[in-house]
Amino acid sequence: MPVAISVDAPEVSENLRRKRGYTFPFLSDPKAEVIRRYELLHTRGGPDGTDISRPVEFLIDRSGTVRWENFTEDIRVRPRADELLAGARAIR
Amino acid sequence: MAETRVQKRTLAPWMGLLLTVLGALSNGLPFVGFPAAPVPWTSLLLSMIGFVVVVLGLWRAFGQSAVYKGKLSGSIAAAFSLLFLAGAIVFFWSARHIPAESAAAPQVGQRVPDFTLPDSRGHSVSMTQLFSGAAGKEPPKALLLVFYRGYW
Repeated sequence: MPVAISVDAPEVSENLRRKRGYTFPFLSDPKAEVIRRYELLHTRGGPDGTDISRPVEFLIDRSGTVRWENFTEDIRVRPRADELLAGARAIR
Repeated sequence: MAETRVQKRTLAPWMGLLLTVLGALSNGLPFVGFPAAPVPWTSLLLSMIGFVVVVLGLWRAFGQSAVYKGKLSGSIAAAFSLLFLAGAIVFFWSARHIPAESAAAPQVGQRVPDFTLPDSRGHSVSMTQLFSGAAGKEPPKALLLVFYRGYW
């Protein structure tokens, strides 16, 4: 199940979720506490010098272990669906 | 008898300008469903061809001024294409680069830290709760944590 996490406030995420018709949860981390704990802070990466999360996808199993991830230093590089699915199939 | 010479126009600088503009704009292609490519070859190629065409246009206007006119318009087109080239580099190269300052971020094989955060309706949700699944549904075997920039 996908879980989206960003610094957006719940209302903003709910708006985005509805507009796109997503049914998976959107979590809000306005103070970037979890983002910081995950070492994903992109300092002053947002509008007006705000701190945001860098784009990263983690596929984790029930033990919380990372089984696949997409870590990029260039936002043009998007995760490949086939790689993600291969990672997901390996989880039983 | 004096030969009347009609100077030809050259469209090369304008074609070059058009190509560099397209080159700059095509940096946005990965955002409209193009396959993800680490190097924007389309943009680089278009910009480079555009630059060559601009140079050709200038060479025609200045080097072969007996045949071609358009010294002024050629220079204007060249200046604009240089502007677009520089803009493309600044906005779509350096501005998109995310600094590599996440050396301690979780890697494959490592466990991620637990978290509790409000969902989009304001209800607090923990990772454990996410794994237990919704009522009447089979709990998920895996979670795909998608960290994204926000401000959409």
